[in-house]
Amino acid sequence: MLRAFRFIVGLFSQKHGIVAFAFFLLLGILMRQAPEATQKSVISAALASVFYPAQMVISSVDEFRSVAHENEMLKEENARLRQETYYASEALQELARLHALVRFDDKWDYPIVTARVVGHNPGRFLTTLVINRGTSRGVKEDMPVFSMNGLVGKVSKATLTHSRVQLLVDPNLKLSVLERRTRVVGFLESVDGRTLSAMIPTHAGVKVGDTLITSGLGGIFPKGIPVGTVTQVRPSDLEVMQLMDVMPFQEFSSLEEVFVMGKEPEWVVQELLDE
Amino acid sequence: MNSLKWIKVLLVFIVCFILQTTVAEWIQLFGASPDIVVIMIVSIAIKFGPAAGCFWGFFAGFTQDVYGPAEWLGANTISMTVLGFLVGQLEERFLTLNLPMKLGVLGFGFFVCDMVYFFLTGLEKDVVTNLFFSKTLPECAYTLFVAAIYFHLSIGKKKKVHV
Repeated sequence: MLRAFRFIVGLFSQKHGIVAFAFFLLLGILMRQAPEATQKSVISAALASVFYPAQMVISSVDEFRSVAHENEMLKEENARLRQETYYASEALQELARLHALVRFDDKWDYPIVTARVVGHNPGRFLTTLVINRGTSRGVKEDMPVFSMNGLVGKVSKATLTHSRVQLLVDPNLKLSVLERRTRVVGFLESVDGRTLSAMIPTHAGVKVGDTLITSGLGGIFPKGIPVGTVTQVRPSDLEVMQLMDVMPFQEFSSLEEVFVMGKEPEWVVQELLDE
Repeated sequence: MNSLKWIKVLLVFIVCFILQTTVAEWIQLFGASPDIVVIMIVSIAIKFGPAAGCFWGFFAGFTQDVYGPAEWLGANTISMTVLGFLVGQLEERFLTLNLPMKLGVLGFGFFVCDMVYFFLTGLEKDVVTNLFFSKTLPECAYTLFVAAIYFHLSIGKKKKVHV
């Protein structure tokens, strides 16, 4: 077999390959001149036999390349989807905040002005804030100010573009509160400018963990705004009253934005109470 | 060529076709890709003479024809056979070619091969002119560039072996 092969090669190599050239040229011309049906059958026979393994190799190389390309595209898509998920989650948080705000709005049926905290009082105790909304946006003095968590205070001074908010921990602010479980009314104040304390009748049996909300008495704050929870109950100088420490729902030092409730003070109520 | 060399060349042939259908497409520049098969035929013909050049030229051309349009069957076969035979006349057993000479032979072979192909396919003169400038010339230049690297490396290797 090998000998025959060598004989043919030797024959073809004679006369500087002219024999081989003539032979292959003739084959080529025959293929070129053959009828189309013959050409097609030659091609299909070659593809099904000699070139089949080569096709397998080439298609697997191409497949490898397409998998690599697909992998790259999937990575890009993954990064894009991650980004979109992040944005969606941010939007959901914002939506939840707005829903809560709408609930607040519905509950009291007063217009709400959203304001950003732009300054704190420079003293050692945080008792006032400055917000970036003033009379130009309908903010007036003595309007209640609250956050998503609960009551913050009231507007103590309003200018055209900015307002000052008196926080609950300001010793000059006193307000009427209601204990949610027992429905007993007391009053809340800050003696030291840092902590809140409430005086509530002893017979109410208020316990640690009970919740205080605004009572709606006094004409400034509407009824039902969460204020804080009772953290400690102590006897007071008056036997009929209990003194209790209150933890406000809103941490005042971390406030970034607040809502001003467009409710004007009902001084008639206060005057009637005073009488 | 002894039987071992035949097997070696067959392997090179397969590798070249795989490279031509994969890598050559990936490294396209302005639509032109190097013709690795032509480089292979020229290298074989220079090294082993016209008979081997004819044989491998025929086989390579036939392979290209099989994957081309059926009505053009034989065009590549004949043009590659002509290429193998012509270049094989400069067999290295009789004379040594340096790098520029090899590139010149390759460029000439590339040109002849394409002209024979265009003639056999019976394309119109305008189409041939257009193809010559848009395909033959840029692909010839790219092929020469790739071949220069290949020939440079192979010549370097040969010198090392002689040392």
